[in-house]
Amino acid sequence: MVKSMPGNAYRILAKDVRSYEFVIPYDEKADVGEIFTVEDRDMLFLARVVNVQHDSNYDGRWDTSIRGTELYDEEQIFNRVIAEPLGCIPRDQTKRRGAFRKAKTIPTKFSRVKRAEAEEFDFLKDTMGDIEVGVLRNGSRDTDVAVALHSSAMDHHMGIFATTGMGKSNFMKVFAASCMKLASENRSEFGLLIVDPHGEYLRGGKAGKGLLHLKPYLSSLKCYSTDPRNHSLPEVSELTISRRDILPEDIKVLHDWTGAQMDALESIERIFDGESWIDEILDENGKAMLTEKAKVSEKTVDVLVRKLENILSRNKYIKSSGSSSIPGIIEGVKSGKVVLIDIPNLSESSELFLLSLISRRIMEDYRNEDEGRKKCMVVIEEAQRVLGSDSRIARFEEIAREGRKFGVGLCAITQQPKLIDRELLSQFNTMVVMGLADRNDRMRVEESAKQDLSSLDVEIQTLEKGEAIISTLNVPFPIPAKIHRYEDYMERLRPSAPERRSFRPTPD
Amino acid sequence: MKIVHIADTHLGFQSFSRMDEKGRNLMEECIYRDFRRAIDRIIELKPDAVVHAGDVFHHVRPRIRPLCIFKQSLERLSSAGIPVIIISGNHDAPKSYSALSPFYLYDGMEDVYIAHRYRYERFEVGDHIFHCIPFCFSQEDYIEEFRKIEMRGSDVLVMHGLVEALRDQSMKPVGEHIVSDSFLKSDFSYIALGHYHDQRRIAHNTWYSGSIEYFNFNEAPQRKGALMVDLSTGGVESIAVPNIGMRVVELDCSGRTAEEILELIEEECGGDKDKIVRIDLRRVNRAAYRRMDQRRLSRLASSMFCLKIKPEYDETARAEEMKPPERLDLEFVRFLEGEMDKIPNAIRQDVMSYGTELIRKVIERRGTEGMDASQ
Repeated sequence: MVKSMPGNAYRILAKDVRSYEFVIPYDEKADVGEIFTVEDRDMLFLARVVNVQHDSNYDGRWDTSIRGTELYDEEQIFNRVIAEPLGCIPRDQTKRRGAFRKAKTIPTKFSRVKRAEAEEFDFLKDTMGDIEVGVLRNGSRDTDVAVALHSSAMDHHMGIFATTGMGKSNFMKVFAASCMKLASENRSEFGLLIVDPHGEYLRGGKAGKGLLHLKPYLSSLKCYSTDPRNHSLPEVSELTISRRDILPEDIKVLHDWTGAQMDALESIERIFDGESWIDEILDENGKAMLTEKAKVSEKTVDVLVRKLENILSRNKYIKSSGSSSIPGIIEGVKSGKVVLIDIPNLSESSELFLLSLISRRIMEDYRNEDEGRKKCMVVIEEAQRVLGSDSRIARFEEIAREGRKFGVGLCAITQQPKLIDRELLSQFNTMVVMGLADRNDRMRVEESAKQDLSSLDVEIQTLEKGEAIISTLNVPFPIPAKIHRYEDYMERLRPSAPERRSFRPTPD
Repeated sequence: MKIVHIADTHLGFQSFSRMDEKGRNLMEECIYRDFRRAIDRIIELKPDAVVHAGDVFHHVRPRIRPLCIFKQSLERLSSAGIPVIIISGNHDAPKSYSALSPFYLYDGMEDVYIAHRYRYERFEVGDHIFHCIPFCFSQEDYIEEFRKIEMRGSDVLVMHGLVEALRDQSMKPVGEHIVSDSFLKSDFSYIALGHYHDQRRIAHNTWYSGSIEYFNFNEAPQRKGALMVDLSTGGVESIAVPNIGMRVVELDCSGRTAEEILELIEEECGGDKDKIVRIDLRRVNRAAYRRMDQRRLSRLASSMFCLKIKPEYDETARAEEMKPPERLDLEFVRFLEGEMDKIPNAIRQDVMSYGTELIRKVIERRGTEGMDASQ
């Protein structure tokens, strides 16, 4: 039988500063992604498994055979584990630990190798941020080390990359819940804007829970909905957009306009008053003005007006008079709340229209200096539609390129990062990868990430639902994480919720 | 059904230190007078109900006088057959259950419906249900109280607090709560809000009636009064109610002498004998301001309800004026140098530095003084 070192330890055998190798008994398992420690006198090295191979002494390897049966069974077969160095932690004789740093050397040959224990990840606690999303995953095992993103990095943009069913929505709900918790504790550094075209964040899906169920922190959530079934809820406002909020450029995303119609749309801003142009153009006098002053053909004007009428009738939330939700949305974001815009059953173009309109108003507001306001993060579902190489929408491109200057960040969610413009993707400093089957998608993410993800290719392929690799600023290496299940996380948040005032007036 | 919507009467509020012939605070008396006039006007209008959206009293423990005046007004409305629906606001709701709300005094009065028990209450008056959410202890309570509302098809919501859109205009008074946007449902026939003193439409069915009276100079540009609301059509009409009136006047004083400035002030205040006026003197020369005839100014102030003068000095002139202190410093140093033989060696340096510092402070103090004509 294979002999292990005391304490189920193995011994480092090879190879260089970029790759460590050790062997384990042929009937023992090591998972890709699992983290091992290498103890070398005054240094503790950490390494993450990137591959496991069948191996034996019959391949003429002197370093395993020379130790003979001290480590291995009589048949001299074993599994060779190839691990990527993560870094090292200096230790003194009292085992007090220094700061984690990149390893610039290799551990002494035959140093003891062990599966990392929970306390060996303590150093990570100091590098974690304030937005908890899950726990550190060691191979297939979960640790109790919380994985938390940094609020300060959120205006540097975040990408969520995952194929269907890998837990994107769950991640976003957990992320939003942590943001709500921070806002309730007055620790929020940014407001989060989520436009939800699937109606799954507000009340949850068929079996799951939504943000409305997070009762202790509801004061940090603002909800706007186009779904009449939600309008009676005390936490939900009916989404209304005033015609006066809309500029001609906003409706460009609502239709495939011809060149002539686009020209007509652009001339509208020159001819009509900035705010009341819709009402004016729907009027006969307005149509005549457009024909005369912009030299637009009557036919084009008629088509434009007809399409505009169609848009207004399809998007009932656009009101000709009355209040608008936009100021409340912007105020919510500026005060660091989570603002959820629930638009189930709206078309994709309506979703993009709303997102584009609100983003414009946010950028206009954030371009003005305001010391008291929080930063802002705008979540974009299926981001390849607006940040793609061939399908960019200038407004989102503008946020990706210069939003950070004004404190506005993007959270781009996509199944196909390969379709996102390469240059824009390189602006993303936080990436949450939750399983990408397509090689081109993985390559695009790996080449854009601020940390080296190339060695994690196998792990990214083998990620299971709810598992993620998180690459972000301030953490020493890409973090393997198990994202909290939202429903479980809700339960965990409940006890630590701020206590309601216990006293109440006595009944009359 | 037609209702009159009022709010923020703040009975018992005192200000401006001006007394009437009986030694009572003049501002407070004017507030009572104008409140009674408002009740007269309401009785003339003969609405089907009156809604008071909070802050009836300025204090949690009002004195007897405002309590009586309010009681008399309720009795007059009741005699006229006009029901009154009232909620407590952040000013008149006790912040602890150990204190009793002043509204307990009016319990049982005919046609008077008051929500003041920190919980949702509904009153059926005429053909409408009035859903009242009074002042609650915590912001979170409002959601739970709102959840109790069952819409019947003809519903009016009455609340007191600052809507989110006006949050940046908050004066942060004690107990201020936010009225969430999500409460402003379009299904209500009307939403009557109190707390914000400017008459303002918030949504197609949501209004602040504004206060009847002006309470401070920040409110000078605001619209005051009551609202007449037709619940069946949604029509809202502003009702003017007599009030003290408050004005803030800006006078450009650059290059003007003391006499010219005084004449300008007298000219501006000529028609405002009964009003509260603040004159903001822009770019006034410091020396000219100091030379203004104080007795003449006091005579003018005493003939008015209240006159306040707020100078804003001309910065360029001020820079010139700041030069003499430097010369004074030097003069003081030269003087001391001549007297050195009279000062013991051990304290010479201290006397020098203490004296120059003292002179500098005196000169700085000159630059910050203001003048209040009413005092």
